[in-house]
Amino acid sequence: MDLRFENLQKAYEGKLVLNLHEGTIKSGSRTAVIGPNGAGKSTLLNLIAGLDTPNAGHIYYSGSLNIPAREITLVFQSPYLISTTVERNIAYPLKLRGWKEDAIQQRVEELCGELNLMEFRRKKAWKLSGGETQKVALARALSFHPKLLLLDEPTANIDPATTGEIEKMLETINQREQTTVVLITHNLAQARRVCDRCLFLKDGELVEEGSAEELLLHPRKALTAKFIAGELLI
Amino acid sequence: MDAIGQGIAEAFRLIASGDAEIFEIVGLSLYVSCLSVLISTCAGIPAGIFLGIHEFRGKGILVRLIYTFMSTPPVIAGLTVFLILMRRGPLGRFQLNYTPTAMIIAQICLVTPIIIGLTYNIVKEKAPVISRLGITLGAGSPARMKLLIYEMRVGLTTAVVSGFGRAISEVGAVMIVGGNIKGMTRVMTTYITELKGMGNYERAIAIGLILLTLSFLINAVLYHFQERESR
Repeated sequence: MDLRFENLQKAYEGKLVLNLHEGTIKSGSRTAVIGPNGAGKSTLLNLIAGLDTPNAGHIYYSGSLNIPAREITLVFQSPYLISTTVERNIAYPLKLRGWKEDAIQQRVEELCGELNLMEFRRKKAWKLSGGETQKVALARALSFHPKLLLLDEPTANIDPATTGEIEKMLETINQREQTTVVLITHNLAQARRVCDRCLFLKDGELVEEGSAEELLLHPRKALTAKFIAGELLI
Repeated sequence: MDAIGQGIAEAFRLIASGDAEIFEIVGLSLYVSCLSVLISTCAGIPAGIFLGIHEFRGKGILVRLIYTFMSTPPVIAGLTVFLILMRRGPLGRFQLNYTPTAMIIAQICLVTPIIIGLTYNIVKEKAPVISRLGITLGAGSPARMKLLIYEMRVGLTTAVVSGFGRAISEVGAVMIVGGNIKGMTRVMTTYITELKGMGNYERAIAIGLILLTLSFLINAVLYHFQERESR
């Protein structure tokens, strides 16, 4: 699924927090959204996911203005798991979509296998560690084969091993299913490892976009270079 | 100490002997409390959910009023219901005072605000998170509501049991509107008050023990449910 923004604006209490004249996220790409705190990164993801509505402008989802709610998902930094078992959490979106019980079981097993969750599958959600919780949230998000996967700092406060597993899964899912991935991260090394595209936002404006390699290693704009060099406060 | 010991012994004797009056009183107490809690639950949970997820003018005042009604003194509720139902009152033509129906109405007035208030508090905390989660997983409004109720199940049970605790232990309101008439409106709490007045402490303790046992059983069921859900 490709995305296109046109004069997208969002304000809270009269303060403009997002002001994107235009921008695109290509279908099947892995796009990192980087920028200091308050740059409008989460606001952008919330607008794309339909959690919030813009004050002005449009988002086109593969050319359409209608939000394909059942093909998009968002994984939060601190995800909420339903107070039941791991496998029921993963199965929930599939039940919503009317999948048959045996197909649900098969899909849950596949995802538990891929994300090393087999031993936790019958564990209650509130007994999981932060890393396990994030993996379950990712498995749940991927269960219904979304065309667009949005992630808001999914590996903040998570150990390197689990971060590695999540990053590997993002690459796998993108290559295998052509899922478009949009990842907010403060970890520039992660943006380079995982993503092929990169958007740099500051004060709600799109400062620079390009390939991750190019933007992170050879930024064209002085502001981007300053941010990458750590001279802008995150 | 003798009176307490004799009261406990009397309690067992009364239960074992199958004292018809005691069973009638216990039965009426449970009938009045269960029915009032059932009606309060049917009205209070949807009202609490509505209040928790919708914004409207005057909501702040309404919430404050509900919080105030949560701690309404039972005699005030009883007096209000009595005045409304008395022969010259607005609903006097139904002649409901001194009937179990009047007692149920009085208890509904006491229990409903408790269930609304407790439900509202849980919804206020859970609804924004559940709503966001539901949207990101493709759940429509009915599915999100179902998920919200599922996620609040322990809290809602606590609200209902709190309401039941208020109803079964309440004496002031049911005394005013029921009148503690033998064989008609006598419930455990009003009977204990009368027995105490008559100096029949053994029988009062016996009824008190039955009341406590019922309360214990209901709380044990709640505790079991909460434990099962958090294990």
